[in-house]
Amino acid sequence: AGMDNLEATDESSFSVDEVSNIIKESVEDVIGTAHYSHNKVGQWTSSVIEQCVNQLTRLGKPFKYIVTCLVMQKNGAGLNTASSCYWDSQTDGSCIIKWENKSMYVIVSVFGLAV
Amino acid sequence: MQDEPVATEQPQQQQQQQQQKEGEEVANTYVIRPNFESKFRPLLAKPVIHEVLVERLTDKAYDKEATSGLCKELTDEIKARLRANGFERYKFVVQVAIGEQRGQGVKMACRCLWDSDSDNYVQDIFMNDSLFCVAVAFGVFHY
Repeated sequence: AGMDNLEATDESSFSVDEVSNIIKESVEDVIGTAHYSHNKVGQWTSSVIEQCVNQLTRLGKPFKYIVTCLVMQKNGAGLNTASSCYWDSQTDGSCIIKWENKSMYVIVSVFGLAV
Repeated sequence: MQDEPVATEQPQQQQQQQQQKEGEEVANTYVIRPNFESKFRPLLAKPVIHEVLVERLTDKAYDKEATSGLCKELTDEIKARLRANGFERYKFVVQVAIGEQRGQGVKMACRCLWDSDSDNYVQDIFMNDSLFCVAVAFGVFHY
């Protein structure tokens, strides 16, 4: 019975809550209440993603991560996103956060795949 | 003359053993990196995605009800086609974003923490007058 626990301990399963907090903190930190600016978008997406990846690494879990970030100006236009994954549903997971402020939408998704 | 039957029997036995191993749930192959032919290569995977996008989206207009269903269908189709193309032992993550074209600014970026020797990604963008579509597929090797 002791050996069975090795495969599915808390340390090696994807924790949606922890990751969701990491994402929200990163976006608030980098973008916050800023107004959409074409010149700065590249910088924002890079910073959000970098911060997320750094925090995820600090969790120290045996996972490979894929982080994507989409920033869109608020214009009245519609946007749909979807994702489909072929993985091991017991160990892998994803967390997708939609965030907005007055001038833009930000969608960050983190996929964690167990090693 | 007598040696020939013996030589052909051995590969058949090996094939049978491999088939039996694939049928079992727990089988160690001791493979820790993909060999060159079975790597997730962008060059091979990109036409797959491109075909799906062109097939499903040419002459389509952005429609707020239909598009969310279309988005999900696209991801499922891309994933199914990638799986059908080989790439043994790869886990896939496919993401599709469809947006209306109204002159707004959009930026999409991604970063991955993985083994760059065995893992890779493929992306494709499709645009027409009323919508734009970005599709990304990530292939992650499972050790």
